[in-house]
Amino acid sequence: MAATDTRLPPRGGKAGAIIAAALSLPGVIVPATALADTAPERGEIAIKYLQYQDSQPDLSRIRVRAPSVYVMVPLSPKWSVEGSWVSDTVSGATPRYHTAVSGATRKMSDKRIAEDVKVTRYEERSSYSLSLSHSGENDYQSNAGGLSASFSSDDNNRTWNVGFGYAADRISSTNDPTLHQRKNTVEFMVGVTQAWTANDLVQVNLTLNHGHGYYSDPYKEPDIRPDKRTQSILLTRWNHHFSEMSATLKSSYRYYHDNFGINAHTVGAEWVQPVGDRWTVTPELRYYTQGAASFYYDPVYDPVVGAPYPPGYFTNPPQFISPDQRLSAFGAITAGLKVALKLSADWTVDVKAERYEQRGSWRLGGQGSPGLEPFRATFFQFGVSTRF
Amino acid sequence: MSTAPDQPLVAGSTVPPTRRALSRLGLALIAAAGLGGCAMSPPQPWEKGNLARPEMTMGGDALDQRFVQHIYGSKEAASGGYGVGGGGCGCN
Repeated sequence: MAATDTRLPPRGGKAGAIIAAALSLPGVIVPATALADTAPERGEIAIKYLQYQDSQPDLSRIRVRAPSVYVMVPLSPKWSVEGSWVSDTVSGATPRYHTAVSGATRKMSDKRIAEDVKVTRYEERSSYSLSLSHSGENDYQSNAGGLSASFSSDDNNRTWNVGFGYAADRISSTNDPTLHQRKNTVEFMVGVTQAWTANDLVQVNLTLNHGHGYYSDPYKEPDIRPDKRTQSILLTRWNHHFSEMSATLKSSYRYYHDNFGINAHTVGAEWVQPVGDRWTVTPELRYYTQGAASFYYDPVYDPVVGAPYPPGYFTNPPQFISPDQRLSAFGAITAGLKVALKLSADWTVDVKAERYEQRGSWRLGGQGSPGLEPFRATFFQFGVSTRF
Repeated sequence: MSTAPDQPLVAGSTVPPTRRALSRLGLALIAAAGLGGCAMSPPQPWEKGNLARPEMTMGGDALDQRFVQHIYGSKEAASGGYGVGGGGCGCN
């Protein structure tokens, strides 16, 4: 990132030598070239094994095992290429409506393979990237592409970013062999990153997405959603380095709004604390809160027909409707801890554990959707990476 | 229908304008107050050693971020904001 370009002061003099020595300390990157935007000098390979399990009272839900690989190769000072691959093996059960255990799907299993590649061209004060990605599972195929560019100020303290993306998805269902639907989405993003002080980096990104096609969930019943979705997302991030503790606080806030009627707020904080020369410990906290979609209905069922249909569903059917817990009003908290060990100058291993929980009563202001069970999940990551 | 939505029961941008404006004004004030306490003083080229530390990058660990954002995107209604061109999935 240009805003972190670390050109040295003019050579000569004791001060320059001291600063140069300080910048050569472990963990401090000093590009050998004075170019504002250049390809990374070294490549990287990272492998991670990811594990996920979610549950609610009396129901163990979805389990995911996902090995993944990331590779970044600098081809020259002006070109780099990076890509990743992940294989998700998914198994378990999920409720067909609200959090009803009796209405859960039978045990299912699925496998998703996703891969992406990104090529970046670096110029003196700008860079340009093209990315392509694919995600495939037996009932969902997604192909996407993106173009992005960044432009730096003369002093390299400010970088503007713009991006455009397009995704074409195909949806089918193992429950309904006749279902063949599509969904297309365009994305626009503009943002700026500012070196606020010698210890503060601030970023603001605005993203607008517009999609049309099939948004209903074929595994929920009854579930009829609008065929257009417009999303507006404001993301702010602020990283501050505490020199006296050699620690970094990474904080973020995201505001989300869409035409389903959902407003959501997300705040996150990570404290990156080196311990000695080889260890880094990173505790993190995240809070998320959302309002319900305008067409979500609470688990109150028709007295004659019964679950999962709301009262009046057959006499006065709504245009849009969903019993999906993910569209209800709730709050969620994540607490996590990551520990990384530097084995050598080039090899690092890391372990991360996170605990996540959703509750209606945790919604900001406390007016969450009633009648839903708490939703809990645990994630683990085991990783190794090397630079070359 | 739901007793808890903060919108009327029709699809579309239907938050009352006054409430929406107040919400956005509040957020802007919070942001301004946060940054106002820390006046901008852009660093000189030789003062950027701390900014160049790996932990100061916005993105961080690529696989970690993709995994976590993928999970949140499949369990919460809000998603995105971190980049373009990522595509979707049918995750339950």
